[in-house]
Amino acid sequence: MSIIKRNNVKISGDGQTPMIFAHGFGCDQNMWRFIAPEFERDHRVILFDHVGAGRSDLGAYDQERYATLEGYADDVVEICEALNVENGIFVGHSVSAMIGALASIKSPKHFEKLVLVCPSPCYLNDGDYQGGFSHQQLEELLEFLDENHMGWSAQMAPLIMGNADRPELSEELENSFCRTDPDIARAFARATFLSDNRADLASVRTSSLVLQCKEDVIAGQQVGKYVEEHLPDARLALIDAYGHCPNLGAPDEVIKAMREFL
Amino acid sequence: MNVAYKNTMDDPEELFENAPCAYVSLHPSGRILRANQTLVDWLGYSKEELAGKSFHDILSAPGRIFYETHFAPLLRMQGFFDEVALDLSDASGTTLPVLANAREVRDTAGDTHSVRVALFRARQRRQYERELLEARRAAEKAREELAALNASLEERVENAVQKRIKLERGLWYERQTAKLREQFVAVLGHDLRNPLASIRSGAEILARDPDPEKREKVVTLMRSSIARMSSLIDDMLDLAASRLGKGMAVEMKAVELGPVIQQVVDEVVAGREAARVETQIDLPDPIECDEGRIGQLVSNLVGNAIDHGTEGEAVRVVSGCSNGVLTIRVTNAGGPIPPDVRVRLFQPFSRAEVRAHQKGLGLGLFIASEIARAHKGKLEVESDEKETSFLFKMPQKASQTATQTTKAT
Repeated sequence: MSIIKRNNVKISGDGQTPMIFAHGFGCDQNMWRFIAPEFERDHRVILFDHVGAGRSDLGAYDQERYATLEGYADDVVEICEALNVENGIFVGHSVSAMIGALASIKSPKHFEKLVLVCPSPCYLNDGDYQGGFSHQQLEELLEFLDENHMGWSAQMAPLIMGNADRPELSEELENSFCRTDPDIARAFARATFLSDNRADLASVRTSSLVLQCKEDVIAGQQVGKYVEEHLPDARLALIDAYGHCPNLGAPDEVIKAMREFL
Repeated sequence: MNVAYKNTMDDPEELFENAPCAYVSLHPSGRILRANQTLVDWLGYSKEELAGKSFHDILSAPGRIFYETHFAPLLRMQGFFDEVALDLSDASGTTLPVLANAREVRDTAGDTHSVRVALFRARQRRQYERELLEARRAAEKAREELAALNASLEERVENAVQKRIKLERGLWYERQTAKLREQFVAVLGHDLRNPLASIRSGAEILARDPDPEKREKVVTLMRSSIARMSSLIDDMLDLAASRLGKGMAVEMKAVELGPVIQQVVDEVVAGREAARVETQIDLPDPIECDEGRIGQLVSNLVGNAIDHGTEGEAVRVVSGCSNGVLTIRVTNAGGPIPPDVRVRLFQPFSRAEVRAHQKGLGLGLFIASEIARAHKGKLEVESDEKETSFLFKMPQKASQTATQTTKAT
């Protein structure tokens, strides 16, 4: 099984500098569809799906490997090795911001810069640290995952969506990009929300940009600030956007902040 | 604008406010722009309170994460979502399970102007779905348990069968051994009676015949009969000692083993016409062992090799000591030992059949292996189409050191 197929890697763009985009918990590489094309002009754009998400090879899913973020970080390193990525730019959303940070610690040569979109090193409240959620709330989330229809019903089989006013979505499959095998979703949620990577931040040597939304119920401003303060070489950009997915909700702001940083 | 409705119940405004589902319009930021009376009634907030809140505020904590990671992106990507399960949280903190449909309202530039959400109460349905899920999990678990049970059942049957086979094989061996033991006793009686008879007749001849030449011949015959009887009795005693669990007693001493082996070989050959044995013994240093027992072992192995070898082909005896291990290898030419014989080769009465007038009691290899064991050594057999070897190995480290010490002094 090639790594390219395993992670459904897609390469585009005319530039030399590699820019690798990693999606967060919940969806797949389509998360980047308003951002990635913008960088194709001057970068070698690499998109991929985490194993278990999108059109990755579900057969490659290994409960043990993907029980922690380390396994996902190993995948990122393997993708970079397979594509000879050196001194590239890593753009990670949500949990993939931390996955990228871990990958840069494991193998610093691949990335010259990290763009961390709505990162959180720990979602749990712990003493003075306000991750945003109590342990009970996170446990409830894991239960709640099972109650949603995503993935359970056979009706979720791909449907072609005719969307005349948004031709770029014409081949998009309804609901499918957020569709995950329920067992995998639960394991990924566990790896994501119960991890604590605060201690790893100090080991990140790569120059980083923290993209923080004004209002983000998942990773609040205090979390973004924490990440910036604990990374040895980071700057924070507060963008005028709401929610946890500015890459979809406010792509222009994200692109602008990235351009300034790069 | 103010259309006069016959009945206020037909007023669209009234329909919006008191619809059988909750409506809420959201600013792209998630702030509640407008909510209908139904939602107000469900949640227990006033209209004014609701208008100041964000959609997140009326979702349970897990619902909030799920909304942000799954449904908000979905809404942005495809402009809508349908049949999404959410948990609302009312003013008192009580959870209100709902199903939600949502549509983005976009301006001409394609940017989100607002989001319209319709919420349907779904307590029963969600409960039902939860039960379905539980049933599905229970079924899954039962299936796994069944599979595990099946696997363990197969394993248990396999174990029972193996045990039974072992038991039966053991019983069969026991029966065979019992039969052989009876034959053995008969043969022993026979074999002891024969030399005894010849001694008796020898004694009678001696008593009445004064011819010295004849007397000497008779005495030689009598001696050989006595030797044969005493060898049979020694084997019996060795067997008895081993069987009683005491093991074989050995008296360890440092000896020049080379000449001992050569002498035993010569004796065995002397008793057998046409037997040819080649020896290659390289034992310059003294060996710590029971000289008599090792002699007995060599005698048994060489006798055996001659009896079962190919006529005209020499038996080879090779002995040496290297890396602290004494080895004595006795090889003859001949066909391979059948596997079933091989398994029981070193057990007493291992012969397929005990016949009268055979050359021994079938205890030779058993006694040899007991001697090896008493020396903390091993007796092994290698057998192929061309030849069969018995290899005796015995550790010599301590005595080597002793030898060196002796040499040094």
